Amino acid sequence: MARRYDSRTTIFSPEGRLFQVEYAMEAISHAGTVLAVLSKEGIAIAAEKKVTGKLLDLSLTTVGGEGSEAWMAGGGEKIFLLNNNILTGLAGITSDANSLVNFARNSAQRHLYSYDEDIPVEMLVQRLCDMKQGYTQYGGLRPFGVSLIYVGWDPLHGFQLYQSDPSGNYSGWKATCIGANHSSAASLLKQDYKDDITLEEAKSLCLKTMSKTMDSTKLSSEKLEFATMTLHADTKQPLAKIYRPAELDELLQQLELGGTKEETVGVGEGTGGGGSGGNIAVST
Amino acid sequence: MECSFGITGKDYVLLASDMSAGRSILQFKSDENKIKELGPHLAMAYGGEPGDTNNFADYIERNMRLYHIRHHHALLPHAASSWIRRSLADSIRSRRPYSVNLLLAGFDTTDDTPHLYWIDYLGTKAVVPYAAHGMGMHVSLSTMDKYWHPNQDRRDGVDVLKKAIAEAQHRLSIKFTFNAIIIDKDGIHTVDLAAEDPIGKIEAEKAAKAEAEAAAAAAAAAPPAAAPEASAPVAAAA
Amino acid sequence: MSRSYDRALTVFSPDGHLFQVEYALEAVRRGTAAVGVRGKSCVVLGVEKKSALQLQDPRTVRKVAMLDDHICVAFAGLTADGRILIDKARVECQSHRLTVEDPVTVEYITKHVAGIQQKYTQSGGVRPFGISTLIVGFDPNDTVPHLFMTEPSGIYSAWKACAIGRASKTVREFLEKNYTENLDRELTIKLAVKSLLEVVQTGAKNIEISVMESYGVVRSLEQTEIEAIVSQIESEKEAEAERKRARLAATQAGQASMFASALSAAGTGAATPSQADASGATGEGSDVQ
Repeated sequence: MARRYDSRTTIFSPEGRLFQVEYAMEAISHAGTVLAVLSKEGIAIAAEKKVTGKLLDLSLTTVGGEGSEAWMAGGGEKIFLLNNNILTGLAGITSDANSLVNFARNSAQRHLYSYDEDIPVEMLVQRLCDMKQGYTQYGGLRPFGVSLIYVGWDPLHGFQLYQSDPSGNYSGWKATCIGANHSSAASLLKQDYKDDITLEEAKSLCLKTMSKTMDSTKLSSEKLEFATMTLHADTKQPLAKIYRPAELDELLQQLELGGTKEETVGVGEGTGGGGSGGNIAVST
Repeated sequence: MECSFGITGKDYVLLASDMSAGRSILQFKSDENKIKELGPHLAMAYGGEPGDTNNFADYIERNMRLYHIRHHHALLPHAASSWIRRSLADSIRSRRPYSVNLLLAGFDTTDDTPHLYWIDYLGTKAVVPYAAHGMGMHVSLSTMDKYWHPNQDRRDGVDVLKKAIAEAQHRLSIKFTFNAIIIDKDGIHTVDLAAEDPIGKIEAEKAAKAEAEAAAAAAAAAPPAAAPEASAPVAAAA
Repeated sequence: MSRSYDRALTVFSPDGHLFQVEYALEAVRRGTAAVGVRGKSCVVLGVEKKSALQLQDPRTVRKVAMLDDHICVAFAGLTADGRILIDKARVECQSHRLTVEDPVTVEYITKHVAGIQQKYTQSGGVRPFGISTLIVGFDPNDTVPHLFMTEPSGIYSAWKACAIGRASKTVREFLEKNYTENLDRELTIKLAVKSLLEVVQTGAKNIEISVMESYGVVRSLEQTEIEAIVSQIESEKEAEAERKRARLAATQAGQASMFASALSAAGTGAATPSQADASGATGEGSDVQ
């Protein structure tokens, strides 16, 4: 019966539900986990990478960097810099994610053009969500199959952490998680989060929770992307840092969560078997 | 024929404008308010082609308000100045440009700093500690240059303003009347230039208002048991 | 047979239904509850607030929004749709001020919002807005409070008291039974809270109240104030129940003594009618507010 109403997104089912949106969310709950933790000193965000194949050539992609370097070198496939003051982590369909990142970057630059200031975090979130909502209401289009976590700083509200889903809803959080195992990760975060957490503690909480929710016991830069948003010590301006693989491994070793290249971190063993079908993951 | 001044200080910014409206040598009005409040901590003194001025000021005012209500906070002075400058810069490249000059004054509540911008119809923007538009530019800049110093308190600021106005009255053949405002962390207040101590008057008004609010809050909290005075108004009429 | 007619919105089904509009109303019924109550000189919006999760930032949970200095809106249904519709209304409020130099009236903006909603039931390739709204406020230079409701179909109507969202039927019935004209501020707020308590079992922490007292004066009540009102209502209810019990006991005692001599064996049968009496009286009793 339900089938009748789910083929077109712009349509309510008799119970008043939008099936396509719900299905999109379902798709995301199988995607690689993204998790972020807010503290007064900054925000940490980690994302699980689906390793897609042994022969994938990553030698041309530069990964990680600080400040303006982070523009050119995202975390690889999950974490991107949207503006000087905003980082995002995505879970869902990669191609949709790419187009959303593009849209967000354009929006941020348009704001800069008009107002000569970095776009406030919530405004960018709202821009993206307004577009996502449009795709659930206007003719014949399917919704974006992407959930996002946004971490950013602006002078009005300081450090902020938001999450948005395919319906175009968004909400602000102290610590949150999207993608596979998000509910168990959320309850772990709820247990361990404290309001007066430091950045170091936030980083550790972020990675520790990640290690508990991911299938593999040892984390490494091969399976993980990591970034922080802080304030520059001198200029007091927002500073995004996407960790380079070596930096991330070092951090993981410090926290005793792995960071070493071990046999156990089997290539292609990703959760949900992203690489089982083809070489390029449709869902990240 | 117009004249406006802006002066920044330690934790405030002053804005004054003449109140004349007319054409050529004729004066039609002497009580026209040419200072527009654009937000809780933002205002501009504007002048230029009659008609253009009001039209443009209304347009800016409504857009500032729209931004405020849409995003739950007002534009900060710097962002507002950029947007207004952009409006004029686009306008002068259009078929029917606005011919409006303005001084934009604001107080940034995120870092407690006063801001003053000098903007003209060409889309020029300058960040300045003190400024004048119109006739005041010709006669009073040197006065402000002499008496202004950084971090001066409110009374000193009003003194400099009075001196600048006196200079304009003294040098110019047209006699202007002025109105003025001061913007600080608490918002926008009218400065009574005729008063002996305009700042003292504002302080007294502030104190009276705070007292009245406390009393009202206490009264509102009284009926439903013991609700504390932490009653936050969501919004109040501008 | 009517199956294929519920896809394209621009057509009616043979029996005259616009299915998508009806289904959109279902989406509204799945939303959280909101009530509006008009008093003598104030109007109150009460909304059911989903309890913010522990790690959520309460600043970003917004159920009641300002359209302009003097207009306030609450909605039930799809949150994202609500955001878009509210944004459109806000633009209209400022645009109206710019073109005619006057703030909008409450009816004008309601009509505008309803107009947008109607457009989405008739234009090609769009689904209707999955929201109903309650719009409250004061007209400029006026002291009469207004309360309007709009629906996904684009219908709008003025109300003395109204409810939308989850269990709106129950709440509306409650309001019909308990509304009186010319309520003062306290009683208006109380009625709003009381009617919300019909659907919100968890009490004050899931209720948000905004009071518009005059043109441009809006106050959202503090949690403590709402708690005070809720506990007041509860204690009144208890007192009422206590009175009922006392009365019931008295009646039963009376009946018992009446029947005792003749029909002592049929005592259980006598209890049933007296219980029915009591439940009838409860309804009357709560009319007092």
